[in-house]
Amino acid sequence: MANEPHAAYKNPFLPWLLLLPTLVILVVFLYWPTIDTFRLSLYRVAFLGLKKTFVGLANYREIFTNPEYLRIFWNTAVFSAAVVFFSMAVGLFLSVLVNQKIGGKRFYRLFLIWPYALSPAVAGVIFLFLFNPQAGIVNYFLDTLFKVRPDWLTEPILAMSVLILAAVWKNVGYNVVFYVAGLQNLPGEVLEAALIDGASPWQRFWHVTFPLLAPMTLFLLVMNTIYAFFDAFPFVDLLTKGGPNGATNILIYNIYRDGFEFFKTGLAAAQSVVLFIAVVLLTIVQLRWGERRTHLGG
Amino acid sequence: MKRWLLVAGLAALAVPAFAAEKVKITFWHAFGGGRTAFIQRMVDDFNYTHPGIEVKAEYKGSYRDTLNAAILSARQGNPPHIVQIFEVGSQLALDSGIFVPIEDFVPADLKFQLADYIKPVANYYRIKGKFNSIPWNSSNPILYYNKTIFKKAGLDPENPPKTFGEVMKACEKIAATKAAPKCITWPLHSWFVEQWVAEQGALLANNENGRAARATDVFIDSEAMKRIMKWWKAMYDKGYYAYTGKPEDWDGSNQIFVSQQAAMEITSTSDVTFMQNAAFENGFELGTGFLPIPDGVERNGTVVGGASLWLTKAHPKKEQEAALTFLLWFTNTENMVRWHKGTGYFPVLNTSVKVLDWQHWFTRNPAYKAAFDQLLASKANRATQGALIGPFPEIRTIIENAVQAIFQGKPIDQALKEADAQADKALREYNASVGK
Repeated sequence: MANEPHAAYKNPFLPWLLLLPTLVILVVFLYWPTIDTFRLSLYRVAFLGLKKTFVGLANYREIFTNPEYLRIFWNTAVFSAAVVFFSMAVGLFLSVLVNQKIGGKRFYRLFLIWPYALSPAVAGVIFLFLFNPQAGIVNYFLDTLFKVRPDWLTEPILAMSVLILAAVWKNVGYNVVFYVAGLQNLPGEVLEAALIDGASPWQRFWHVTFPLLAPMTLFLLVMNTIYAFFDAFPFVDLLTKGGPNGATNILIYNIYRDGFEFFKTGLAAAQSVVLFIAVVLLTIVQLRWGERRTHLGG
Repeated sequence: MKRWLLVAGLAALAVPAFAAEKVKITFWHAFGGGRTAFIQRMVDDFNYTHPGIEVKAEYKGSYRDTLNAAILSARQGNPPHIVQIFEVGSQLALDSGIFVPIEDFVPADLKFQLADYIKPVANYYRIKGKFNSIPWNSSNPILYYNKTIFKKAGLDPENPPKTFGEVMKACEKIAATKAAPKCITWPLHSWFVEQWVAEQGALLANNENGRAARATDVFIDSEAMKRIMKWWKAMYDKGYYAYTGKPEDWDGSNQIFVSQQAAMEITSTSDVTFMQNAAFENGFELGTGFLPIPDGVERNGTVVGGASLWLTKAHPKKEQEAALTFLLWFTNTENMVRWHKGTGYFPVLNTSVKVLDWQHWFTRNPAYKAAFDQLLASKANRATQGALIGPFPEIRTIIENAVQAIFQGKPIDQALKEADAQADKALREYNASVGK
């Protein structure tokens, strides 16, 4: 066996030794906390773990029967679906625009990517200022132009819209980066052939460009879903704190709140597990569905 | 040989230096910005005058962050000596079991300091007859108003509204004369609701506000609550009340008032210094008055808000004594005077008040006076003593959600009934989790 041509290491322990630093980091910072979260979700925990009692699946029963939590699931679904759809659609649209041979396209690209470079906290504060009902610039213009001053964060639907807008605005740049890269790597001859065949720009996009971008779309679908589920915390915390009356309370925010503000660590752990499973399932579905419709690396 | 003697001599000199190593004390607090620096200056003064002790003050984020950090560090066996904990975290801190009841450890010759606290403060922090922590930063809600707008609206700038009805009337006048776009603002925060409940002499929880025994029932659908919500809802519907839409948005309400979008604001007395500066910068005259209360009820007074300083368990005796020395120095008469002048938080010792009186501080600074008079006028009873509830942070969110639901049109009775059931459930679960 030692003479096998593919064996790069003679000592069987050496590869493990080289992997050790990575494994240690993975175990300490990822696997162990994950396992501990699963374990904690079966306990009623007081004071971040100073006291705990085993309660079996009671935390899960609470999550799946309490209307408050069911509403949080619904909010999370609405928020995530809207954020994923709009940030990808807008990202793709803008990428196609800046991929044309136009003057100053480098500047357009730079400015489109810029919001992505901001930290979510800064983006949240910017939107808080913009949509302040009394002193915000949005209402200043709306008042001057149309004589209306909506209470952006007091109406449930408006509050959710502002939240989605902020999250989309922040993430469009990420999608632009990948879509522009994807567009530039498209095989030119196919598009040229379509052009010669007399396809309209609309047809060229939907029948040639979009299908060819499918692997990129699939990748971004997974990444955007993860973003919508896990990275929206600062927007909720800064803009609405889950209000009005829980209308913008989404799972990732509620986990923080239950865990660190209300000291219900067991319940928070159970919600983390639910979120974890939901994202894993969604990713599997997306990849399965994608495999049939795209030719990854083909 | 000579050289050896020299070395030996130096070594001998060095020994006492090692023997008298300083006792190191850590102090975690929740004051950012300018107040971090203010606290640091006081700590430096202490270290300079107490050569045997070295206190290290650290800013740990919000009240909640500080409490979380303290509990986690205690779990790992390495807690700081002194932790600042917000008033509604008192029951939680007691239940966590990581602190010592401080009164038992105060040396006999310093016990006099515990007898010096002004009554409302002593009432809040003395739990079952004993100080479990050292009261520090204390505040109340008061009314701030813009005298310039009041004059424009034809209102008496020296006579701010004192009741809900008077606020409503003033608002009608301000709206009619278009003196300001909105009439009044305050953060959508449960703290104000709790204060208005206390002003009516009503309780927030059973077992005498959780003071006689552990609370097992929260009173959210009480008559006192309904009176508050009815007025608040009417103020909101008529467009008199303004807030940013975000719950607990202190800065947002300050911004509305300071930018003169509203004629009045109800907020903490700890903002007096900030408000005076802001009024000067924005060119309006500032007035302060008592917290307006429901019509037809006797004014009972406000509950002390703020935070106190707790001493953690499991430290060597020497460190514990040093930490206490610092705590009692940090909150002594002259330092309380200094703290009050620098921040607007109350001087919580009677002797500090005497010093301030002797300096004619309150006559020279009338804005601070309204705040302090209101506190001193509070009656000492179970209502103004404030409720002790373990899951207070969660109950606050439940109350805030109810207010927002009422704004959206949910009938007041129904919203309060639902909130009451939620709060009782939260309390039940908390009590079960601490094994009580």
